[in-house]
Amino acid sequence: MTEIALNIENIVKIYPHRHHPVTALKNVSFDIRDNEFFTLLGPSGCGKTTLLRIIAGFEGITEGQVRLFGDDISTLAPHQRPVNTVFQQYALFPHLSVADNVAFGLKRLNRPADEVRQRTADMLDLIRMAEYGQRKPHELSGGQQQRVALARALAPAPKVLLLDEPLSALDLKLRQAMREELKAIQKQTGITFVFVTHDQEEALAMSDRIAVMSNGEVQQIGAPREIYNNPTNHFVANFIGEANILDVEAKSVKSTKGRHAAKLTFGNTTWQIDVPPELTDRKNLSVMIRPENLRIEAAKGKMPAAAMVGTIKDMSYLGTDTQIHVEVGNNTDLLARVQNDATASGEISVGEKVRVSFDTTAIKVLED
Amino acid sequence: MAGLISTSSSSKAEASIVDGRLGLLLMPSWVVIGILLVIPVLIMFVYSFLTQDFRGGVIWTFTLEAYDQFFLDRGLFGDEPPQIEWTYIMIFWRSFLQAFFAMTFCLLIGFPTAYFMATSPPQSRAMLLFLVTIPYWVNLLIRTVSMKFLIRDSGPLNEWLMAMGMIDEPIRMINTAFAVQLGLFYSYLPFMVLPIYASIERYNFVLSEAAADLYTGRWTTLFKVVIPSVKPGIIAGCILVFIPSLGAFLAPDLLGGAKNFMIGSLVEEQFKGQAGDWPFGAAVSMILLTIIMVILLIYARNQTNASTRGH
Repeated sequence: MTEIALNIENIVKIYPHRHHPVTALKNVSFDIRDNEFFTLLGPSGCGKTTLLRIIAGFEGITEGQVRLFGDDISTLAPHQRPVNTVFQQYALFPHLSVADNVAFGLKRLNRPADEVRQRTADMLDLIRMAEYGQRKPHELSGGQQQRVALARALAPAPKVLLLDEPLSALDLKLRQAMREELKAIQKQTGITFVFVTHDQEEALAMSDRIAVMSNGEVQQIGAPREIYNNPTNHFVANFIGEANILDVEAKSVKSTKGRHAAKLTFGNTTWQIDVPPELTDRKNLSVMIRPENLRIEAAKGKMPAAAMVGTIKDMSYLGTDTQIHVEVGNNTDLLARVQNDATASGEISVGEKVRVSFDTTAIKVLED
Repeated sequence: MAGLISTSSSSKAEASIVDGRLGLLLMPSWVVIGILLVIPVLIMFVYSFLTQDFRGGVIWTFTLEAYDQFFLDRGLFGDEPPQIEWTYIMIFWRSFLQAFFAMTFCLLIGFPTAYFMATSPPQSRAMLLFLVTIPYWVNLLIRTVSMKFLIRDSGPLNEWLMAMGMIDEPIRMINTAFAVQLGLFYSYLPFMVLPIYASIERYNFVLSEAAADLYTGRWTTLFKVVIPSVKPGIIAGCILVFIPSLGAFLAPDLLGGAKNFMIGSLVEEQFKGQAGDWPFGAAVSMILLTIIMVILLIYARNQTNASTRGH
């Protein structure tokens, strides 16, 4: 059993504006494990940054508690909390050299001069900037500044490192390189990272676990694979990757040995899948299927068990794969992503009638 | 800065055309500066080497008499061996002290004021700026005379203190160094507040959060992060208060009396009425100008060294 680094318990945050108080967080609770790369993912305004600032101590809380390795830190000032932050816009001290920036926290903690020097050198080695110690922040590129900001926050060996969209100001190539570097540094230092981002790809690539947030609430928490494959609701399904969501009628539910199967009807096709027990008495359900799980083939021969017939509305060639919109009736378009095969040249074209088939195991029932 | 100015060789010709046009645009400024600043200073420079005319004005004969009078004491009839004349040097010393204290007090009061203004909600900042500039709607002379009435022996301040029973007899405030200090402080405080306000408004408060995040308390954050970041504003404010305080003559004249004679009054006296000594007044001005320029040059050199260190 791994230890819990942070307990977020029933946190409510209301900004008391005079005329219209704004609720930023509605009763948020979860645990972050030690040594974990944990990501808070959500669109802007979902409360993820507010939550990070609450952990750091920059924002007070209306209700609830933050516990760090068991200790309640809710009432401590930011400088009393053994957590450090990497800020979105770096926030390096412009008047100090790179080395002095990195040493800043250690000096405030009154560590011996030898230790400060050694630790600063180690941190500059870690970010591969040993020869930049005497430079000033404005003499560095954006990526270098971000690495210095990381070294500065890691230097005091915080119990938890908070990262507030640290890659969003970098260009794409640099961002991808920094992802791997961040992940490697997290493994190397063994420090718990709490990472805030609105970029789902970033979250999937780096995290051990992700908390998807929206409207001040946690929608789902889980490993990247789990969140992608088994989103619990519309929001998560749409926000992470691309999703086809179908509203279906559920009929003749039968239960055997704890498994609950239902016949789902969409248009004039019906297929049978297992549904979670708590949803068995619903008449209408939403189900999701990812575009890469759809197969597009010419509408001939015997119809498979799970398939629909539709007309191709448009196709976009994207290099590795082709994105195809198929109209399947009931005012529904399905999005399919088909891998391109260099040897085959387009057998299907816009306007053609095709069959869209899939494995019933790829269908996921959404809770709401 | 060099990076901003430098252009690639292919666009050099184009750049020089632009420079030429910019030069043309600057012409009005050069004319104004030339007529109102350079020429008057040159006139004073020339006058300081001329001979005094008894009804004010100058006789066009070259002499070092004015500078001699400032630095050397040759006795009443000018026939004794020269000794150092301390009178004017002491006036300079006193003026520098007064200006230094005025600058210090303005900084101590001005910095928190500017900080408060810059951290107020944006809607109320305009109002606060407006309040700071209100005293400038009234002429400095009138404000200084009002100050004189306020602090004189039978003025409202003393009467109020006596009515409150805090003192039994009036405190002597008028014609003291304190009164001069008060006058200078009051006159030049906005010059300290405004540049500091401007730089705190530009200050990135995330830096304060970063400091707090790195185990820094409020006061240490103020001295280790905020003040170094807004230093240019503080220095601008100090220069804007120190230099006019050095040459001020209204506050010392009206509030300080004869004992608190300062450079400004000394110069003013030489040009007022018909008894003045124009070359001597010009010489005093030139000496003051030289000292100020030396101070500013030393400061500028330190700044350049500080910004190039570590390259």
